[in-house]
Amino acid sequence: MLLEVRDLHVEFRTRDGVAKAVNGVDYGVDAGETLAVLGESGSGKSVTAQAIMGILDIPPGRITGGEVLFQGRDLLKLKEEERRKVRGAEMAMIFQDALSSLNPVLPVGDQLGEMFVVHRGMSRKDARAKAVELMERVRIPAAKERVKDYPHQFSGGMRQRIMIAMALALEPALIIADEPTTALDVTVQAQVMDLLAELQREYNMGLILITHDLGVVADVADRIAVMYAGRIVESAPVHDIYKVPAHPYTKGLLESIPRLDQKGEELYAIKGLPPNLMHIPPGCAFHPRCPMAQDVCRTDEPPLYEVNGEEPARRSACHFWRECMNG
Amino acid sequence: MAESILQVSGLVKHYPLTQGILFKKQVGAVKAVDGVDFELARGETLGIVGESGCGKSTVAKMLVNLEKPTEGEIRYRGEDIAKLSGKALRSVRRNIQMVFQDPYTSLNPRMTVGDIIGEPYEIHPEVAPKGDRRTKVQELLDVVGLNPEYINRYPHQFSGGQRQRIGIARGLALRPEIIVADEPVSALDVSVQAQVINLMDRLQSEFELSYVFIAHDLSIVRHISDRVGVMYLGRIVETGKDAEIYDHPTHPYTQALLSAVPVPDPVAREHRERIILAGDVPSPTNIPSGCRFRTRCWKAQERCALEVPLLAVPAGFRYVGGPAAHDSACHFAEEKAVVGNGNGPG
Repeated sequence: MLLEVRDLHVEFRTRDGVAKAVNGVDYGVDAGETLAVLGESGSGKSVTAQAIMGILDIPPGRITGGEVLFQGRDLLKLKEEERRKVRGAEMAMIFQDALSSLNPVLPVGDQLGEMFVVHRGMSRKDARAKAVELMERVRIPAAKERVKDYPHQFSGGMRQRIMIAMALALEPALIIADEPTTALDVTVQAQVMDLLAELQREYNMGLILITHDLGVVADVADRIAVMYAGRIVESAPVHDIYKVPAHPYTKGLLESIPRLDQKGEELYAIKGLPPNLMHIPPGCAFHPRCPMAQDVCRTDEPPLYEVNGEEPARRSACHFWRECMNG
Repeated sequence: MAESILQVSGLVKHYPLTQGILFKKQVGAVKAVDGVDFELARGETLGIVGESGCGKSTVAKMLVNLEKPTEGEIRYRGEDIAKLSGKALRSVRRNIQMVFQDPYTSLNPRMTVGDIIGEPYEIHPEVAPKGDRRTKVQELLDVVGLNPEYINRYPHQFSGGQRQRIGIARGLALRPEIIVADEPVSALDVSVQAQVINLMDRLQSEFELSYVFIAHDLSIVRHISDRVGVMYLGRIVETGKDAEIYDHPTHPYTQALLSAVPVPDPVAREHRERIILAGDVPSPTNIPSGCRFRTRCWKAQERCALEVPLLAVPAGFRYVGGPAAHDSACHFAEEKAVVGNGNGPG
């Protein structure tokens, strides 16, 4: 396993109380594999990623337990100085909003080149040449001329490509992409996802794709982990989860999106709202919204049950996963 | 078709670009909307889809008279609303209301929910006399599925989906005939989107509303719309009934747009042809000659640079009929099923 997260817990201390954002997350990703982490806002998907990258704001955030094993080393035990060497060089992140992730007063070439100056000790001139190479790699037309341009001079799709170029610069083993195409139009989204998938294959990178979009996930992921209230509620290979979801939350999500290829009747809607992280319901966090909930769900937190005995494993955190899969 | 209540013809909105401080001279224009025609029937939902910058929100603003069109007409019950003022305008506005995209910024944080939903009555006191308003607001809260006791709460005490319900209640307050909804669910989480869409569906049949539903999400537009118009760079490039557009698109832009939508089904994905467009949408200050889509179109030929294609049933389909015979602004219109539901050819 390239990266393995084990029983990760993160909380935020705020004036109003403690918000438990991540409550025991386990997932892993191999080289060349794409793991999609699916969840709605507040499900803890981005916080987990920030903890892996070591860019969590501490305080108010606090990692209260767990391990992040990257190529066998527990990143959480490393000193900040050592972490910095891992970040960028061995694992990199692509953010949702490219405009606010790029420095508006520096030409993009300088920002791309900075990676090489800082991590590889290159001269500015060599770094500039590398920047042009990277921009060509992500198919920015006239890269040589545009290397001196500022972020605002690029379109949204191109800015996201520059973010990808920046993440790829040092050929990391792992890329975490947090909603990389959410801010883009569909036609541009397709371009960017294609590029990302192609580069991933070429470098045999592990990719963690964080998204709320069930459509994007189906297009690119090998495996899916669905998060709810800071926990993984279901994890499975992509084909299985769409065919037969093993958790009522996943099932509800799949039924609540309108389909492009069918004109449906009334949409299925999951009742209620996602829980407040300061008051996560006892037992299964999904029980107040779950159509299948019974008494045991209100008291006992379901473990991640193994749904099939074979590899790759499928897991579901529902006491009634059998019933869920059967109808 | 039911009685048509809104007719839009030749709608144009250009924002001038000026240079100079003292003596401003116009050096160009952002052609946000550049000739849009459509009709809306009573009780019908017209979906308008397009990518950012295609002018769909500008159309929405003109429909509710927040922007004045540069040219063209918007006729509501026979009167051009852009030319009205004073009392006549007020009564038209009462009948065309808007629901905005962002439920976080479209509600005043210092007003209670009761004041927000009741504010339309201040402007149109004839709808509800003063003593009646509180009960009316509570009724509205109930209609959109919120607890009527929440009337004294402030917007920050609600979630995104609940806020959008408040926005919808405000839109309904004056019992309008038409609601223009600009991306009403795109800021919401997936599980909450379905709740709001279902609510809008229910209200439509309950109050006989007509919707102009503007969105970039093609799946949602299909779900809610009776007819769909696809916009590109300020113009409608293809329009027809929902099945005509989704299952039998003839314009290359519509085909590319549909093929780019990620479908939440890995099996369908493998049987689908992907059309990936090159490049970005051109700037609306500098629109390509002839067909405005030609710079990204794989079918473009010389004719496309010279001749503007008209939005009409393409000649090849005119006498054949069938679902492919709907308006499409392309010289080389050809049917191509890209969504792949097994109904269409290919």
